[in-house]
Amino acid sequence: MIYSWKKIVKHGLPLLSVTIFIEIAAGQLLQGNEEVLMLFPIFLISVPVINSVGGNIGSILGARLASGLHVGYISLSLKDKEMHDNLFMSLLLGGVTYIVLAVIIYLVYIVFLSRSSAGGDVGLVDFISIVFLTGVLLVFVVSIVSVFTAFLSYKKGVDPDDMVAPVVTTIGDVMGILFLFLLIQIVLGV
Amino acid sequence: MYAKEMVKQSLPLLIVCGLGAIVAGSTLGLMLDLFRRIPGLLIVIPGIIALRGNISTALGSRLGSAYHLGVIDEGNLWNDELKENILGSLVLSFFVSLIIGVFAFLSSFLLNVYLDPVKIIFITVLAGVISALVQTVMTVGIIFLVFKRGYDPDNITGPVLATFGDIITICCIFFVASLVEVML
Repeated sequence: MIYSWKKIVKHGLPLLSVTIFIEIAAGQLLQGNEEVLMLFPIFLISVPVINSVGGNIGSILGARLASGLHVGYISLSLKDKEMHDNLFMSLLLGGVTYIVLAVIIYLVYIVFLSRSSAGGDVGLVDFISIVFLTGVLLVFVVSIVSVFTAFLSYKKGVDPDDMVAPVVTTIGDVMGILFLFLLIQIVLGV
Repeated sequence: MYAKEMVKQSLPLLIVCGLGAIVAGSTLGLMLDLFRRIPGLLIVIPGIIALRGNISTALGSRLGSAYHLGVIDEGNLWNDELKENILGSLVLSFFVSLIIGVFAFLSSFLLNVYLDPVKIIFITVLAGVISALVQTVMTVGIIFLVFKRGYDPDNITGPVLATFGDIITICCIFFVASLVEVML
């Protein structure tokens, strides 16, 4: 036997517990802003979207950096040009993805959900700006975290492929929700 | 320049995953009443979604490696190695859901909000375990289909689980929380 359920639990539990601890902070942020979400349910719908895109882009960047470090075309320097190009591409990719998805969320909300919930209305332009700005901020932070996680784990001799995805998605979840409420406050003033 | 190829390869996948997340988010949008009636339910949402991502994709990638190691194959899928893997995922899901429920209660307590501990922990554990069961069956089903076609499981399980996992998890919370509201 190669696998044993006890080993799987023992190896998984410590990292997962740390992850959960941070995710509960994200959950408390949601609960603390419950009134805003009840007033504008469209933002509740956006939460999984904002977080999953941020996590995916961070993970893609991390995987690309890890491959680059392993193969040797990316060097362990914050001035590495290849790394800068990858970072810039992540921001571009994120910006485009968030705008496309924001339009789709808005349509889905107007067509299917706005009547069933007695929520307030958010204008299309306001909504897209909030999601886009949240997204770009999130991708920026997540990318920086991704670069540092990849570089640090590579330096310490840990495979970046194992580290980047869990670190980036967890930190991304908290930051995504934080930035969302921040921008709702700035743009809508609530 | 790799920019063009990066956009061409990643953008469609990002959008498709995003569409899955919109379905997941819309399900949350249908749960507004439940969030109002069960204080604390919102707190466990990010945690339980993350739990799903970490445990089921780990199971998928372990089974992919098991395939490459020759431990499981199309003729010999349902064996002890697979059962250990499934049991490991389910036990892990149980403990982590329990921790989510307890953390949600404790952190609220520290913020001077008193949640009904039995309710929130019961909902979290039941939703966590049910969604783990559904996703385990799905993972094994995908592996089985992938074997039949002769594809590499590593290329398939991750994206499929990432897209459908959130939706399944949120539907499970929706179902369990509604049930608890009706029964308790």
